[in-house]
Amino acid sequence: MKSRFFLLPLASFVLPGGPAYATVYLSPEQAQALMFPDATFQPDPRTLTNKQAKAIEHASGVNVRGRQLKLWRVSNGGWFIVDEVVGKHEFIPFALGLDDAGAVRAVEILEYREAYGGQIREPDWRKQFIGKQAGSKLQLNKSIHNISGATLSCKHITDGVNRLLATYEIAIKETGR
Amino acid sequence: MKSQSKKLAVERAQPWLGTLVSMRVEGLPAADAHRAIDAAFDEVAAIHRLMSFHDPRSDVSRLNSHGYHLPVTVHPSTLDVLHWAQNLSLLSDGCFDVSVAAELVDWQLLPVPAGAVRSPKGSWRDIELRSDGKVRFHRPLWIDLGGIAKGYAVDRATQCLRARGASFSLVNAGGDIRVAGQHAEPIGLDTGPDTQSTVALPVIELKDGSIASSSGHRQRRWHLGRQCGPHVDGASRTPAATDRFVCVIAEQCVMADALTKVVMAKGSHSEGALRRFGASAHIHDPRNGWRHLDAGVEAA
Repeated sequence: MKSRFFLLPLASFVLPGGPAYATVYLSPEQAQALMFPDATFQPDPRTLTNKQAKAIEHASGVNVRGRQLKLWRVSNGGWFIVDEVVGKHEFIPFALGLDDAGAVRAVEILEYREAYGGQIREPDWRKQFIGKQAGSKLQLNKSIHNISGATLSCKHITDGVNRLLATYEIAIKETGR
Repeated sequence: MKSQSKKLAVERAQPWLGTLVSMRVEGLPAADAHRAIDAAFDEVAAIHRLMSFHDPRSDVSRLNSHGYHLPVTVHPSTLDVLHWAQNLSLLSDGCFDVSVAAELVDWQLLPVPAGAVRSPKGSWRDIELRSDGKVRFHRPLWIDLGGIAKGYAVDRATQCLRARGASFSLVNAGGDIRVAGQHAEPIGLDTGPDTQSTVALPVIELKDGSIASSSGHRQRRWHLGRQCGPHVDGASRTPAATDRFVCVIAEQCVMADALTKVVMAKGSHSEGALRRFGASAHIHDPRNGWRHLDAGVEAA
């Protein structure tokens, strides 16, 4: 075990737009192959009616922001949905796999964007560094992708999954296969 | 999927343990890396189900509702975490105590557990881990394994990835992070809105070890005229400093997470506990700035 603590001067670190980072975990196709190996996928996009959206909100207690449903039928049973939730500041796209009975088979985060530290997200704070990125070189040979300290709640993702489970009951299940 | 045969880094994330858990694996063909990550997420999911404070079917909930009345059979993993916890309670003179859930419920930082016994009034000393694998409370208790369960899950996932041949792995459960393998990884520290510097970012470069951090800022609230955060000194049953940020580096993540509670409560006086576990800590508060505990730490 080896560790080294240091304070990284911000002026040498900040990139245009702030030191936000984005991690792309999986494409929708990769998530499909992981959740349902050897299956084929039939796109079945749908648009929720006002009535359905209201019923989903009532059943899940979660706001329905978008009416478009990115849905696929899975050849050997089940459904695959790509959706997104709003994190603290960014959209978080995720994929949900449901089995034939509408139970959760898997949830995969597709992409995650987050900025370093609470205040760094504030535009005023960022402004002081604009134009300063062409300074001394970053002292690290790689960028920082992991943060310790800001406990990140996954409540918005849990809410998103609950909304899609209600969507299954109201707008997918009855249509059959 | 692209690059099935190439040995690239594969990284995925799923929501577990009330946070996002991400895993990065290097040194395996992509298909093998995904299978290793699948297995590691299965471990995390099992720990999530066993140790949730909120799920009435978890081991923790069954203990909170029945542990005082009769010995409760728990999963070996739950027993393992309780052994870690009891060991640290003993070595920290009760400063670390999983039964402080009662105070956290009082301060409205945790919900009242469904079906749990009323009026919890014991401590870690009232938890008996029996040789037959059962657990019994000698007084009514509410325990919460939230933080250390996260650290434990990170350790189990790391073991799983290593056993399946990863030459490098990084597992991150909401800031409880374990790095294993050849190269070092920079980890940024988010010290919270009160202590963030506008001129420098604190970074730990970590190789083959674990890091966990805590700060009192985000969840603090007033209760009966005093400021309470999510950390309790188990020995005095009083709130730990709410303006303090601590990060602990230890070999195992379960210990790094548990020790953050001790350092949060005791500050510089936690050196003894850290030394016993070969751990080091970095503390920040507005009055003292940064303090580094442990002679072995290189601070630049």
